[in-house]
Amino acid sequence: MRTLTIGPLGITTHRRTFAAGLGLVAVLAGLLIFALTAGKADITVLDSIKAAVGISVGAPADFIVGQVRAPRALTAVLVGAMLGLSGAILQSLTRNPLASPDFIGITMGAGTGAVLTLWLVTATSLWITAAGAVAGALLTAGVILALSWRRAGVVPLRLILAGIGMGFVAQALTQYLLTRMDVHDAANALGWLVGTTTGRTWTHVTVAAVCLAVLGPLVLWHARALRTMEMGDDAARALGIHVGTSRGVLAISSVLLAAAAVAVCGPIGFIALVAPALALRVTRSAGATLIPSALMGAVLLLAADQVSQQMPQALQFPVGVFTAAIGAPYLLWLVWRASRGGPA
Amino acid sequence: MRQRALIAIAAAAALLIAIALSLAIGARTIDLATVWDAIVSFDDTDPEQLIVRDLRASRTLIGVLAGAALGVAGALMQALTRNPFADPGLLGINAGASLAVVIALTTGFATSFGAQVPIAFVGAGIAAVIVYAIGARGAAAGAPVRLALAGVALTALIQSVVYAVLLVDDATLEQYRLWVAGSLTGRQASDVMALIPIVLIALVAALVASRQLEAVALGEDAARALGVRIGAIRTVVILIVTLLAAAATAAAGPIVFVGLAVPHLARALVGASLPWLVVVSALGGAALVLVCDVVGRVVAPPSEIGVGITTALIGGLIFALMARRMKVVEL
Repeated sequence: MRTLTIGPLGITTHRRTFAAGLGLVAVLAGLLIFALTAGKADITVLDSIKAAVGISVGAPADFIVGQVRAPRALTAVLVGAMLGLSGAILQSLTRNPLASPDFIGITMGAGTGAVLTLWLVTATSLWITAAGAVAGALLTAGVILALSWRRAGVVPLRLILAGIGMGFVAQALTQYLLTRMDVHDAANALGWLVGTTTGRTWTHVTVAAVCLAVLGPLVLWHARALRTMEMGDDAARALGIHVGTSRGVLAISSVLLAAAAVAVCGPIGFIALVAPALALRVTRSAGATLIPSALMGAVLLLAADQVSQQMPQALQFPVGVFTAAIGAPYLLWLVWRASRGGPA
Repeated sequence: MRQRALIAIAAAAALLIAIALSLAIGARTIDLATVWDAIVSFDDTDPEQLIVRDLRASRTLIGVLAGAALGVAGALMQALTRNPFADPGLLGINAGASLAVVIALTTGFATSFGAQVPIAFVGAGIAAVIVYAIGARGAAAGAPVRLALAGVALTALIQSVVYAVLLVDDATLEQYRLWVAGSLTGRQASDVMALIPIVLIALVAALVASRQLEAVALGEDAARALGVRIGAIRTVVILIVTLLAAAATAAAGPIVFVGLAVPHLARALVGASLPWLVVVSALGGAALVLVCDVVGRVVAPPSEIGVGITTALIGGLIFALMARRMKVVEL
């Protein structure tokens, strides 16, 4: 068996997956160092890393790296990982590579919830926005589930369609809220709605880290169940998986991960769609690969964020514009290939 | 035939009622006798008659134009792609038009409404060709869902570019955020007059083309046997759809789901006959947009909800419920 067992954790993995994971970690580390050092200010690599972890190295570096670059880069890494994880779970549960929280209404619902808190509470803290996003996402997910529920359980395809419909409903509510705000608040909300990593602080990092620290292990705990359920519910039951419980935990975790990502950075599109697909390519795995998907999400979002920062002044758009520019053509290609009779 | 004619007459009556409601109801409710006077014997000293003439008449006209255009565009697209989820809003065609308009606004290339219409047409046309290239293979199982997803993807892509432009330009944002909510109040009556001939010509063309398109829907071989030039009729239909969607978007902003819901309701009433479907969809679309607009005026006083928001709320739910009823086709 070309597998690898990490003893105390009881995680069994293919060598190829493990190697791909290590490679992704290396790429991520390289990107992180680049993110901390690249820029106009002249700060050495060593000083950057010191400042990022909180060791004082003097005035400009402490602020530029410690307060601006490091939280921004870490936010991108954590949010990217959450999106990758969320997408991987959803795609595996629905057995459909087109399912992604961005397109089945979850992200829109989270956005509506968050904008509602921006509108209702004038001095918002990030935790309130996060709570709004989570409430919005859960509510939307609940409605979608209720709409796609039949006696035989949830039909994935119907879930996607119901999600598209609810996405429009949520978006309409968001747009209504935008027209009720004054133009300054609306501009703020709009900047947040396109998905951005600029101006993220250590508070954002904390919120993202807490969410990932709670949900990540929970999801990994059910990783084996997820992969087994891909073989069919009966096979999974025969292998001793509590199908209903595992599916419920995983689905709710996926929704919460997407909602937390929205709360921290706004609805950044397409990472949740693309990262799991790329992770499958890299690992050549047959089923869901949660950790590589999370790593791939982190790499993609951090890279897109760096691209958005290195653009000339006139083209410095929020990172959501860049992820959409990569992800949307990929989705169109996926749809086009499927419509020619290829694997969907 | 007679039954279909009766249904068309009923749809026309519904439209007339909707027009009357749209003229009478609002922040200030005006009784129908005054509305009638404002139309037949206008007295410019009566403030209520002035409201009807100056504000509500143009608003109603825009609603009728946009609704009829979207209803017919949806009916044609559903026949062309043989796809029950085809709708110019859902498939990104309206988004294409709005992107073109936003770019024109921000570059100062087209500040006048007259110049925005052809630009909206170009944007809608590009989006229509992209989506059709993906959604045209309607025969395969599961194709409806793929087409819907392709539309969502295209809309997301266009939307992010629109946001990018708006974030750089606050002045355009101010115009856009009201326009995108789908409002029937954002345009001058004189501007919209220019759209009337365009929409009328497109509607007549739709009616003429619908007979041949119906033959195509029977299958390509059958259509050829009937002497229909398939490539030509498809091109013409895409052109008509683009024209209708662009005109509706230019007049009222991107409105989704009218093109989806109305032809479905119409089909339930008149069956599969495409010419009748076009007629009833035009009447029904106009009535639906007006009713949604009136609802938006009264539900949250003193402010109003844009008609695009009302239709998306209602239409999104209809769409989700359609998904619930649909037979399962695996993707």
